[in-house]
Amino acid sequence: MDEVRIGVYICDCGTNIAATVDTKKVTEFAQGLDSVVVARNYKYMCSDPGQNLIKDDIKEKKLNRVVVAACSPRMHEPTFRRAVQDAGINKYYFQMANIREQCSWVHENKEMATEKAKALVEAAVRRVAYHESLQTREVPVNPNVLVVGGGIAGIQAALEIADGGKKVYLVEKDPSIGGHMAMFDKTFPTLDCAACILTPKMTTVGQHPNIDLLSYSEVEEVSGFVGNFKAKIKRKARYVDETKCTGCGECTKVCPVHVDNEFDMGLSQRSAAYIQSAYAVPNKAVIDKKGVSPCRVACPAGVNAHAYIALISQGKFKEALEVVRKSIPLAGVVGRVCYHPCETECERATVDEGLMIRDLKRFVADYEMKIGREKAGPVEITKDDRVAVIGSGPAGLACAFDLIKNGYRVTVFEKAEKAGGLMRYGIPNFKLPENIVDNEIECIQEMGVEIKTGSEINDIPDLFNKGYKAVFLATGAGKNKELGIPGEENDNVFPALDFLKKINSGEKIAVGNKVVIIGGGNIAVEAARVAWRLGANDVTIVYKKSEAEIPASDSEVEEAEQEGIKFKYDTTADEIVVRDGKVTGVKCVSEAKGQKSDQFVIDADNVINAVGQAVEKTELSKELAFTDLGYLEVDPVTLETNVSGVFAGGEVVAGQLDVIASVAAGKAGAESIDRYLSGNDMREGRFEQMPRVTKVNKDKVKTKTRVVMSKLETSKRNDNFDEVELGFDESLAIEEAKRCLNCAVCSECMLCVKACEAEAIVHDVKEQTLEVEVGSIIVATGMKQFDPEVMYTYGYNRFDDVLTGLEFERLSNASGPTDGVVVKKNGEKPKSVAILHCVGSRDENYHKYCSRVCCMYSLKYAHLLKEKLPEADVYQLYIDMRCAGSGYEEFYLRLQEEGVNFIRGRGAEITNTAETPEEKDKLIVHCEDTLIRKKRRLPVDMVILSCALEPSDGAEQIGRVLSISKKADGFFLEKHPKLDPVSTMTDGIFIAGCCQGPKDIPDTVAQASAAAARALAMISNNKVEIDGATSEIIEELCSGCRICNNLCPYSAITFNETKKVSEINPVLCKGCGVCVSACPSDAITGNHFTNKQIMAEIEGVLA
Amino acid sequence: MSFEPKILGILCNWCSYSGADLAGTSRKKYPANIRIVRVMCSGRVDPVFILKALQSGADGVLILGCHPGDCHYTSGNYKALRRMEMLKKLAEQMGIEDDRIRLDWVAASEGDRFAEIIKDMTEKIKQLGPFPRDGGDNG
Repeated sequence: MDEVRIGVYICDCGTNIAATVDTKKVTEFAQGLDSVVVARNYKYMCSDPGQNLIKDDIKEKKLNRVVVAACSPRMHEPTFRRAVQDAGINKYYFQMANIREQCSWVHENKEMATEKAKALVEAAVRRVAYHESLQTREVPVNPNVLVVGGGIAGIQAALEIADGGKKVYLVEKDPSIGGHMAMFDKTFPTLDCAACILTPKMTTVGQHPNIDLLSYSEVEEVSGFVGNFKAKIKRKARYVDETKCTGCGECTKVCPVHVDNEFDMGLSQRSAAYIQSAYAVPNKAVIDKKGVSPCRVACPAGVNAHAYIALISQGKFKEALEVVRKSIPLAGVVGRVCYHPCETECERATVDEGLMIRDLKRFVADYEMKIGREKAGPVEITKDDRVAVIGSGPAGLACAFDLIKNGYRVTVFEKAEKAGGLMRYGIPNFKLPENIVDNEIECIQEMGVEIKTGSEINDIPDLFNKGYKAVFLATGAGKNKELGIPGEENDNVFPALDFLKKINSGEKIAVGNKVVIIGGGNIAVEAARVAWRLGANDVTIVYKKSEAEIPASDSEVEEAEQEGIKFKYDTTADEIVVRDGKVTGVKCVSEAKGQKSDQFVIDADNVINAVGQAVEKTELSKELAFTDLGYLEVDPVTLETNVSGVFAGGEVVAGQLDVIASVAAGKAGAESIDRYLSGNDMREGRFEQMPRVTKVNKDKVKTKTRVVMSKLETSKRNDNFDEVELGFDESLAIEEAKRCLNCAVCSECMLCVKACEAEAIVHDVKEQTLEVEVGSIIVATGMKQFDPEVMYTYGYNRFDDVLTGLEFERLSNASGPTDGVVVKKNGEKPKSVAILHCVGSRDENYHKYCSRVCCMYSLKYAHLLKEKLPEADVYQLYIDMRCAGSGYEEFYLRLQEEGVNFIRGRGAEITNTAETPEEKDKLIVHCEDTLIRKKRRLPVDMVILSCALEPSDGAEQIGRVLSISKKADGFFLEKHPKLDPVSTMTDGIFIAGCCQGPKDIPDTVAQASAAAARALAMISNNKVEIDGATSEIIEELCSGCRICNNLCPYSAITFNETKKVSEINPVLCKGCGVCVSACPSDAITGNHFTNKQIMAEIEGVLA
Repeated sequence: MSFEPKILGILCNWCSYSGADLAGTSRKKYPANIRIVRVMCSGRVDPVFILKALQSGADGVLILGCHPGDCHYTSGNYKALRRMEMLKKLAEQMGIEDDRIRLDWVAASEGDRFAEIIKDMTEKIKQLGPFPRDGGDNG
């Protein structure tokens, strides 16, 4: 190596450094350091004469290393690197000592600061001796530009670049571009209509051949480096084919789901299928689908509860029933007896009470019966194969229903006289009237299902011989389990299933005055309620476990208790006492909390055994395998039995089941049979969980409990089997349905599909990822309005007519929710309005910064109010009026002339407690008028809060994706606050508009144009220089341990299998050095940050 | 004369070094005991640097990086965190007090925070006294 010859240059920076650091002493000190040939001190090293000092010394004194002790290298390292390069030495033979930002500006003791400066200089001198010559690389610049954010900043930047002839990808997270400006009414101070000046630009963006507009999209990942970025863009599922949609809006009209319209700040509602605004670009519909509603996910039979509720809320009862019948044939039955797992999951329950989802289903079925059901047309038979279903309970019927809809010819065999199974013979009429069952079975028959009643099948092979290609067994569990205690064989002991069947078949059964039921299921409670109706007035249910464990539904138990049925919990029946051939009682023992009682007797004339059901083994099942528990053995996924082509489901497989679970089993059977007969895979994709919506916004939901369904009075029940629950009328059903929170927003009712003539609606698409390659990125993610609800004293969301600025903006807008008429929530015009400045701005508790635009937009509001309501009193409550801008001060003067009241003093509190008659029914704004030094109470009708601007919600995420830093206030950090406010620390990434800090439209547009100019400059340069400070692996030292391989965040390190060493791709390496410090063999050199260089610097700084 | 410790700061270029610069630009005052060495990423910090610094005259070593999740290089600061945890265990075995070695996060916007950390660290090292080395009483 040549002799190291170092020149050291100490900068005074005027007095910036020299005032605190004795630069002369530092210079003398530097002169004495090893290898230092020359040390000089100068007033401004960065000036031309300063730089010339260095250049001359390099030439004259043959320097080959240079140290400058001055400001931060982040400020002037590039300047001095250029200087040394100009003088003929490699620019990496240079080191800077930061004696300004990190020394003179932060220390007060001159002696200590000087000592520290000496240390920093020594460190730089020791370090630079080890510097090596490195080469920068030039890489071509991809001429495409990515613009993130489609507000006015993004639009402006995109148009500048596109007009310059370069390609732009404009990514906007919303369905339309336009951002906040599209929501504004007028713009200050010229009072141009915002839409009038913005929409032409929006349209141009939409039509520009050089702009690829990616609306409803988000940037997910960015890799690469300046000039050569790769961006992954998530294109959210729009569920509308943009190429086909004509923007006609028919889908938005039929959509039954209504949610708050974000574009109107929640002051109006929009449908789930919507077009963002009247001037949306692109003018295409979008369907807002946030997943699947919890009610729908919860239904074992997959009934789309959300859809039928939404349709009911709009009075579309027929369509609602069609939704139910898409999944199940038994709306009226299930609507009465389902245990409604959907209601358990209903999100509304976390606000007040879950919806009465089951009863709404019943309502649509009842409504159809009331107005008269149209005959269901026969389903077209499209398949050759015939299927036999044995058993006509809910499982059998559901299976037959799904099969015939699929085009199969189906025959249901039922051994009883009538079809319906337990629905007909098990559930008493006061819960489920027979005509409901009749109606729904008729409907299934009308569709083409053949039901053969009184037809017992004993031979499955015979069915196959007769041409059936598959069989579904749904014969139920009709055998009553035995009590297994003495006395149960007595005639006055009834098995519950027989008892209920006889009653439901119209047989008369005499019961005594005292009846004891043993068991705790719904059947036990139903039997008890039947016994009570038959005349028994002392009915007791004996259940072996606790009240909390009883399997009967809560509502069933509650009804029974109202009817006077007694419950004996934790009680075991040991013996049925029989005297003279007659039952006289039940001998019991109760055991609560481990305390066993003595035996006692409950008097009884009759006992009903409701301890459970079992499957009867008959001729039919002789070839079939059974489980140890006595049920049919089937494959849990496909429901296939041990005999090929024979499937089984419902109670015969699972024991006692709820109706909906049996229906679900029937549907699963139908699915299996279809797959079996079509030769498809029996398992693939079955029982995939639907994606339940994860986040439901309940912030603004006002409490409203369930409606009340009328019931037959208890006193009118005991001598008949009339239905107890009486259902809803139409208005009650709509009222209840409107409580739905629309968790998933779109309910997939599919009305839009029918309404769309262009056939543009596609409900089953998924989000897509698009990859684009660009050379530079402009971030224009804008701002959001501060939410004033956190400021309790201002009463936002507590008082009706306290509005935010953006809400007023929409209220005043001709295309807003009131067509531009300024009204209170109650529809009256306000007679007085107060506008409060600095809400969330200039406030230690929220944001210290001034949001810059609020004074001006507040003046604009005052003007609009005076224009629309000339008689109204308008107050401005301000701290300072900040009206700096072209025509701004003039606008302020004009408003003073328009008669607006200006009060200097921040609004303190808003209350609604009147102290004088004038204050009655008013909002009272409390403030101190600091000009007259008086506290004031202003009674007004409306308050507008001029809220601060904050970084937009997406800024955090995009900041991470792009590795750009933010300031303490959350806005993006510019490279230099004065000299480079459009660049970031990451080369090739620029910022524009409010994402960098609050600003008005003219400043935003200017900055956007500046960012575009920077991107275009890079493109016209055609190439960028890449730092030579990357890492490299010394092949001879690498042991091939591969520790570094997975450490690299840029996947720049790969393993060379032939050489058995790792290698770094210099194009991908960004020089972070993580691998260098991890290498156990010291085989990786971090160029310009080598171990030797850093060690020398450490030793120097501590010397 | 009172004990004036030497503290070595190794700062990442993107967040912490900028934060330190911002402290300067905003004229936040802090003790002159800190001596800063810049690296591109806190993930570049080899534990050996820290031991070397203690050996070479430092009474404390401060490593600053971007806040977790904000690393300019995605994840280098997490690597720094893991290495520091390991080093601290080792340091404890060697009898080096916990306060002498510190890893913290300073964002580019946190000039105030940077100054506070320096004040705090300087105060703590002053209380600990000089780091014993060169055949000192730790033998």
